[in-house]
Amino acid sequence: MTERTEPGFDALHPPSRELLDDCVHCGFCLPTCPTYQLWGEEMDSPRGRIYLMDLAERGEIELQGAFTEHIDACLGCMACVTACPSGVQYNRLLEATRPQIERNVERSRSDRLFRGGIFALFPYRRRLRAAAIFGLVYQKLRLDRVAERVLPPRLRATQALMPPVKLRDAFASLPRRVKPDGPVRRRVAMLSGCVQDVFFHEVNVATQRVLAAEGCEVLTPRDQGCCGALGLHAGREDHATKHAKRTIETFEKLPVDNIVVNVAGCGSSMKEYADLLADDPEWAERAKSFSAKVRDVTELLAELEPRAKRHPMKAKVAYHDACHLGHAQGVRAQPRAVLRTIPGLDVVDLPEAELCCGSAGIYNMVQPEPAAELGERKAGNIRAVNPDLLVTANPGCLLQIGRYLDGDVPMFHPVQVLDASLRGRPLP
Amino acid sequence: MLNAAVRDALASAVGARNVLSDPVQLRSYECDGLTGFRQIPALVVLPLDTESVAAAVRVCHEHGVPFVARGAGTGLSGGAMPVADGVVISLQRLRQVLEVDPVDRRAVVQPGVTNLDITKAAAPQGLYYAPDPSSQQVCTIGGNVAENSGGAHCLKYGFTTNHVLSMTVVLPDGEVVTLGGDTGDQLGPDLRGVFIGSEGTLGIVCEITVRLLRVPETVRTLLADFPSVRAAGEVVSDIVAAGIVPAAVEMMDNLAIQAAEKAVGAGYTLDTPAALVVELDGPAAECGSQFEQVKAICDRHGCTRLHIAGDAGERAKIWMGRKAAFAAVGRISPDYIVQDGVVPRTRLAEVLGRIEEMGQAAGLRVANVFHAGDGNLHPLVLFDEDAGELERAEELSKDIAELCVELGGSLSGEHGIGTDKACSMPRMFGVDDLATMDRVRSAFDPGKLCNPGKLLPTPRLCGERPGRYRPHPLEEAGVIERL
Amino acid sequence: MTATMLAPTDLRGAHEALADTEGTVQLQGAGTAAGWAGAALPTDTVLDTTRMTGVLAYNPSDMTVAVRAGTPLSELQAELAANGQRVAFDAARVARGATVGGLVATADSGPLALAYGSLRDLVIGATVVLADGTVARTGGHVIKNVAGYDLAKLLHGSYGGFALLAEVVLRLHPVPASARTVSLECPLDVGAERAALVLGSALEPVCLEWAEGTLLARLEGTPDGTEARARELAGLIGGSVLTEDDADAAWARHAELTGAAVVRVGCRPSRLAGLIGAPGGPAVAGLGTGIGTVGLPFAEVNGMHDAVTAIGGTSVTHQRPPSGVRAWGRMPSAIRVLRALKNELDPHGRLSPGRFESWFGEFGNREENP
Repeated sequence: MTERTEPGFDALHPPSRELLDDCVHCGFCLPTCPTYQLWGEEMDSPRGRIYLMDLAERGEIELQGAFTEHIDACLGCMACVTACPSGVQYNRLLEATRPQIERNVERSRSDRLFRGGIFALFPYRRRLRAAAIFGLVYQKLRLDRVAERVLPPRLRATQALMPPVKLRDAFASLPRRVKPDGPVRRRVAMLSGCVQDVFFHEVNVATQRVLAAEGCEVLTPRDQGCCGALGLHAGREDHATKHAKRTIETFEKLPVDNIVVNVAGCGSSMKEYADLLADDPEWAERAKSFSAKVRDVTELLAELEPRAKRHPMKAKVAYHDACHLGHAQGVRAQPRAVLRTIPGLDVVDLPEAELCCGSAGIYNMVQPEPAAELGERKAGNIRAVNPDLLVTANPGCLLQIGRYLDGDVPMFHPVQVLDASLRGRPLP
Repeated sequence: MLNAAVRDALASAVGARNVLSDPVQLRSYECDGLTGFRQIPALVVLPLDTESVAAAVRVCHEHGVPFVARGAGTGLSGGAMPVADGVVISLQRLRQVLEVDPVDRRAVVQPGVTNLDITKAAAPQGLYYAPDPSSQQVCTIGGNVAENSGGAHCLKYGFTTNHVLSMTVVLPDGEVVTLGGDTGDQLGPDLRGVFIGSEGTLGIVCEITVRLLRVPETVRTLLADFPSVRAAGEVVSDIVAAGIVPAAVEMMDNLAIQAAEKAVGAGYTLDTPAALVVELDGPAAECGSQFEQVKAICDRHGCTRLHIAGDAGERAKIWMGRKAAFAAVGRISPDYIVQDGVVPRTRLAEVLGRIEEMGQAAGLRVANVFHAGDGNLHPLVLFDEDAGELERAEELSKDIAELCVELGGSLSGEHGIGTDKACSMPRMFGVDDLATMDRVRSAFDPGKLCNPGKLLPTPRLCGERPGRYRPHPLEEAGVIERL
Repeated sequence: MTATMLAPTDLRGAHEALADTEGTVQLQGAGTAAGWAGAALPTDTVLDTTRMTGVLAYNPSDMTVAVRAGTPLSELQAELAANGQRVAFDAARVARGATVGGLVATADSGPLALAYGSLRDLVIGATVVLADGTVARTGGHVIKNVAGYDLAKLLHGSYGGFALLAEVVLRLHPVPASARTVSLECPLDVGAERAALVLGSALEPVCLEWAEGTLLARLEGTPDGTEARARELAGLIGGSVLTEDDADAAWARHAELTGAAVVRVGCRPSRLAGLIGAPGGPAVAGLGTGIGTVGLPFAEVNGMHDAVTAIGGTSVTHQRPPSGVRAWGRMPSAIRVLRALKNELDPHGRLSPGRFESWFGEFGNREENP
């Protein structure tokens, strides 16, 4: 941390005046903002946060204190970007503001350690696997019950998110190349993710199978690492750029048409590499052509005319828009369309569909109380439509919602549902 | 600054957790949807129920502290701008729909419920809440009551005042009373009617019973392009002359169309000089035959493209463009001022011609979005503050509002007078008119603590304009001109 | 005491009548509601508005009209009808010559209130004269207008106690091309059930009333449309579509019954039948609006006030009761504000004393606040 006397932002890429001026203070963003829904306070609305960014940019307020508190409280769900009629790019404002805080605001020791811990764990598959083993032991010994009583809220939140995991899945590796049965319609490379690969290995397997069934040759490079999404959304710019570059390096050498992602948060940040690395002459072009190839798996499937036979599934499916898919990538119609190719499937929307479930990257770990309120609210909205299944395209949402649904409704990734229909098997 | 005794009393009135006093937090409350007027409040309180609103108001009353109620802060006349050393009472934690009664077709809601959420709550019963201001997804019913909000469909269905049956109100001394009644009427003079549209100066509304209407059997919507604003205006006249009362008739000129299309991609024609959105609703048979009449009228006036919404989704898209039009203008201009004036409908063409001339004279572009059926104009004056155009734009905008008065209309159709137009009120009303209004205000609020400085001109306000945010001291010239 | 009679013909005359006199003044229109509410106390002056007549401005294309407040509404309607327009308002006493100002001051309404509300919903501007002669304008000539306080609302239901209404601007509606009335002979409880069916449908009646033994529903619109809807409505309630003459007669009977009523009540529509069915006197029930009138012996009036108050409704007498019988139901909860307004607008208590009984303390035996 650098010693600074001037209030406001430092000179390193602060939120630009031009972007700040786009906000006309109309307030259309308020009802879609999760924290505003919870608290009704102006500073915890997108309009209020932009107002504070504006004041900070003018040097009228300090970053330390209330400013940091309210920016920290933002889930980064980007529902406001969808709602904004003036085209304010809140995503870019937030991504420019968070590094300012990380650089210029002294966090309390426990906050520092906790955030550091998250970034030392989640982006690394090997460490996550170790955690998974620990988690397994932990579950077997019912330590969670002990933990409920003794852990501080943040650690309690983190442990409560840990899903039951099969050891075999956590350590299973994916085939490096999957070929379609018939002619190749598209060649794609798949991001296997960190959390996804350890905790939702079966989603990756289903993705490969579904893509192959629809005529895609799927490459899944072994040497891939974290895409940097968690860091990008938390203002850890160094972390984000380091991992972005590594990911580009890994994938750009593959002879593929598209890079497929089945994790909404990763997809959204990979599409933003072009912005993230725009100022780096060595990387700008490479990032741009990489980002242009990125597709969410449902986006890709919707582009391809269905070829493989779908077996009917009689079920009412509630589809939950992951914020980083719906709001950040604008991918809403495609997953629904893909699900609707399955005969007999009734796809329904949720009340307050635009509202975040509270997962939001690392949010449910660093801000457990609001995340819990949002999780409860989402679970209530899901129960209200009384679905047979809940489907959403993001592991963070699955972990978060799973915790609050408490086993009431089985949950799947859209490709798992499609996979089951293609294979004519019941869902796992 | 508020003294410690007042702070403590307010904290115990609403609960310490519901008080904001951090200077940075207070800054975010310094303006509403009209950012040109700013004033940092001394304190913000967010009460959880009617009783704590009343308790907070009683504290203010006892200590002579001015207070301002605030809903979603979307107002466009500075009606929720705080008062120096005063308290903002935010109603954003009173957000429950308390009752939906499908038999007597009414809902009881708290003031922080958004306009659209009332309709959402009523929808399962086949009912809806009729007034629909363009900001209905965010503006709250409490704010609608304060402003007597209308919306695109008020030509046929009326305004907030026609749809609120009764209200629980905290008077400026903290007494809690009911205005209106089960049928809307109360015994004796219609206090409900006086309170609605009083811009937060007569008390704070804490519970509202609204009428719900049955969703009409049919809704037909068309979007029609015309070679000129005049031609579109003639269509409106002919529709009215045919004895048709459309649910809505909205007009946009080319600049507004461009902005809206950029924002939402509603399928508007980018190069058309003018477009009308006409909506009819009601029983299927009648709606159908009148819709044919409207189409024929459009054709008669040289309609260049007629798009009929095929389903609810297409209708929503057409409306989304219209409703987002104000904010969307942010996409075609760095800054803009939304004006809100009314002229008798027959003078629309005249006023639009004059506005165009005035815009040219000022060297500024003016986009027009308006409720053509009732003569309510929303000229948007586009400018660039960085290019030093603010003063000129404000002047032009004010002149447009006063032009409306000159043509037999009103300073405001729905945004209210607030801080913004208080000093123009003498253009519309005489000394005695304003003095009489002031007597009414005194009857409710003898101490003048409830949203002071709004709606009625005061020598202080119109003399030195406190709280007006000005980036540099050139303002004096503008001030003198305003009087 | 013989009162001085003043009958100004215009705003200036009205201003002079109040500015140049002292003492108490009874404001009086056509006198069609003279027996309503509290008894007027004798005053030094009676200000008769019935010579303040005539249209001041009427531009049919704008669908607004400005009239002097003493104009009988029926005369105004005749003039408007020539242009296919109307004030969408049909209180029973319009036919008896009630003035526009009087109809506003008494907060009257008719069956059309279901679709169009009362005059408070149709008045868009007014010029009033305060007790001290101050002339004040409110609203304007445009339908949509939120500039300033709406003083016209304050005069709606004020029985002349706050100010004199001198000029009124009204919004107009087109006269519908066609109207059809469906009727069903039935007792009130059946009428209420059938009315609920109609209100739950998309048939959009503009009037829905039960008038002593007959449920009446009126539909307005295009000839084909009203014809089809009337048939559907008749099927829904098991009634029949009336011929034009029969419809006119049915609504005339409705107006007659309303005019003969002793008490007017208002409550949640679903509670109305239970309330006014109980006394057994001739009743008229606005089953969609919740407004009804009932004829009953004066001895039962206080009981009716109490019954209405108990279910949260409002009530006022429409015939002068003998002493000991209250003209008004419960006092409004904001009585303190009403008194403050009276004090601001008419500080010396000049205007129309008595009509609100003890609300403003004219009897000297001020009731306790409720």
